[in-house]
Amino acid sequence: MLIKLTGGKVYDPAHQINGKVMDIHIRDGRIVERPHEGEKINQEYDLRGKVVMAGAIDMHTHIGGGKVNIARMMLPEDHRTDPVAHTEHCRAGCGHAAPSTLTTGYRYAEMGYTAGFEPAMMPVNARQTHLEMGDTPIIDKGGYAMLGSDDFFLRMLTAKQDQNAINDYVAWTMHASQAIGIKVVNPGGISAFKFNQRALDLDELNSHYQVSPRDVLKALSRAVHELGVPHPLHVHANNLGVPGNMETTLKTMGASEGFPMHLTHIQFHSYGTEGDRKFSSGAAAIAEALNRHKHISADVGQILFGQTVTASGDNMRQFANAGHGSPKKSVIMDIECDAGCGVVPFKYKDQNFVNALQWAIGLEIFLLTEDPWRIFLTTDHPNGAPFTSYPHLIRLLMDKSFRNDMFTKLNLDAQAMSTLTSIDREYSLYEIAIMTRAGAAKLVGLHDRGHLGVGAGADITVYTDQPDREAMFAKPDYVFKDGELVVRNGQVVKVTWGSTHTVKPEFDRSIEKDLKKYFDRYHTINMENFKVRDDEIAEGGRGKVIVQACEGRRERSE
Amino acid sequence: MSALTFTLKIRTTQRIDVSALTPEKLQGQSPETTAAILLPSGKHALRVDEVFDIAGDDAGNIVFKNSDGKLDYIGSQMKSGSIIVEGEAGAYLGFQMRSGNITVHGNTGVYAASGMAGGFIHIHGNAGDFLAAAIVGDRKGMKGGTVIVSGNAGDRVGDQMRRGILLIEGNVGSYCASRMLAGTIGVLGTVGDHVGFGMRRGTLLLTKTPEMHATLQDCGTHTLPFLSLMFKSFAQLPGKFAKIGSNRVQRYAGDIANDGKGEILVLQ
Repeated sequence: MLIKLTGGKVYDPAHQINGKVMDIHIRDGRIVERPHEGEKINQEYDLRGKVVMAGAIDMHTHIGGGKVNIARMMLPEDHRTDPVAHTEHCRAGCGHAAPSTLTTGYRYAEMGYTAGFEPAMMPVNARQTHLEMGDTPIIDKGGYAMLGSDDFFLRMLTAKQDQNAINDYVAWTMHASQAIGIKVVNPGGISAFKFNQRALDLDELNSHYQVSPRDVLKALSRAVHELGVPHPLHVHANNLGVPGNMETTLKTMGASEGFPMHLTHIQFHSYGTEGDRKFSSGAAAIAEALNRHKHISADVGQILFGQTVTASGDNMRQFANAGHGSPKKSVIMDIECDAGCGVVPFKYKDQNFVNALQWAIGLEIFLLTEDPWRIFLTTDHPNGAPFTSYPHLIRLLMDKSFRNDMFTKLNLDAQAMSTLTSIDREYSLYEIAIMTRAGAAKLVGLHDRGHLGVGAGADITVYTDQPDREAMFAKPDYVFKDGELVVRNGQVVKVTWGSTHTVKPEFDRSIEKDLKKYFDRYHTINMENFKVRDDEIAEGGRGKVIVQACEGRRERSE
Repeated sequence: MSALTFTLKIRTTQRIDVSALTPEKLQGQSPETTAAILLPSGKHALRVDEVFDIAGDDAGNIVFKNSDGKLDYIGSQMKSGSIIVEGEAGAYLGFQMRSGNITVHGNTGVYAASGMAGGFIHIHGNAGDFLAAAIVGDRKGMKGGTVIVSGNAGDRVGDQMRRGILLIEGNVGSYCASRMLAGTIGVLGTVGDHVGFGMRRGTLLLTKTPEMHATLQDCGTHTLPFLSLMFKSFAQLPGKFAKIGSNRVQRYAGDIANDGKGEILVLQ
């Protein structure tokens, strides 16, 4: 089956193609070279005048795992007010902030997204996470395994075990949980919360293990780097949401001592303490530091106004925020002594000083960070806003006058504290393609996604170029997933099942001797049952595991 | 102008959500737009004109004719106007209603007046379980307004009710006023067991002494002047509550296992 996409304006930053009119050929789900004369083209799409990009990739979105299910359970009102009817192709579903799995997949595809990555996959919960993601149609997915507050790892740090042993444990965890990256949430803090600490700064010690967040970050960022895992350590830093936390964030950037790190939802970590209300924007300093530290990347975690739910592994901060929840309910829990979870529903209001300023801070970070290859478009779905608001966010970035119009509707005190209107930058289509496609694929380590070069998986989105970027990005003309047309005019026309991307770094299997003893003594589950096998993900023919290469593996440490 | 009338013309096995058919949502809509509104029904959505024959043009006065117990969310979030139901109403009648009038000439399903914050509902038949109670996931039931039931009501009447007046002329089932937070419930008939279970505050007015569990305490007989004022306000209402004269009551406080600020008043 040979498909030809004719005459579209192509934006493919991985190959420095910026709006060049060209043809793309697809055979058996892959992008191929121009075929020989006389080869039969089975299908042709006339894309003259249309914008062609690779399928978008959401590199941080909570679409699976225990906390999303808790959010679903806790918020029946989120579901009953947003029912989605059964159609010819799609099954029924519901949900605005925490949609059902099927609806999540359809809505992503209908916006031109072809992959999403769950950033807080607890290794002990990995099976549940993969089952949920396996029930999310069309898009590709993957998960970052959460380490850093788990007992086994903290014991290793306390015992000052050498880096090679830590590397082996990290690699073993990635295999066992079928992960593509490693995430650390409030390094050491989730554990410290259980020992009655209610805050943990970068150099403060966990009272039980006597290790600091800095130790955790150093060990994990180095492990990920040395194993050759393409995705740098994914860091949800300490002190989320605390006024003045920009200092912690700036220090955190130096904590890995040069090893690459990705700071996630950095908007929630960019607050100062200036002004009458002791809450101000730290965006300028954070963006300036991002521009300077080339080994650091970040996604924004933009907030947008309306009802949503915050779901996080950071039980320490969620416990502190639970009183601000709306409607007033929350779940704060421990998970198997290895991590935690906090779910608090939240309503962001444009007339609220703090919320309005958060909105402006996120946009300031987007606009002041110069390199679009190191800053990514997220709302930390559903924590800042549901992912369905991405088209609106893209318009805010691409359209200065629209942005300034929205700004004038904010809380007046917040307006006075923000410099947003003095920033003239508007993102170009090319830069949006970097943030949401090429850059995201490079960051996550998807070697055959996020670009339109020969050999790439044919995940392609076609838009109509419209001045209203929100309308443009909300409703693509065509979306192809692995060469199959899945969306036409913003409506799903075929339901396919995507793959799960993982990495499988090599390691010394003798670590299992220690782990076996640990599991037998402390765990609720046998070590062999802890491991998620490939065939569990592929069960029912609905998915498969794609192992992305660990390119750039480093020699073992001395 | 004549009342906008929806006559149910099909019988479905699946329930139908008619929350889209309220006075303010239909105000100023053309007949074509109204006919094309999609009503969720199970996993499908049905057009209004598939389900109803539509007549009349005054969206401020809506009438459901020939209705059955499958029509859920009648008058949901309604803010003005009136709705008359000639027949049965389904679950969630007047859900989160703010203002206006609903009259039902028939029985209603579960969770009538749940989340209601204002307005007036008169149910001439019987009400189902969880009348004025909080639905799953909500922390408060009825939050204001007045409800009169001429017939009987089911179990869990006024569960987690927060404010408002709920008057039942017939009998009610078990767990009446359970977990009640505040507000007033009156019952002229009998009440089932576990009355006032977990009741926190609020007033339950009865005519016969019910069977009571250990954490409801007898406080003796009193003449309460505030009752005269309350009955005076009832005098405007339709039905039997307008005719109560006595303000001499036996007072029980409880549930003392849960704060104990609630009261059960039995008219002498």
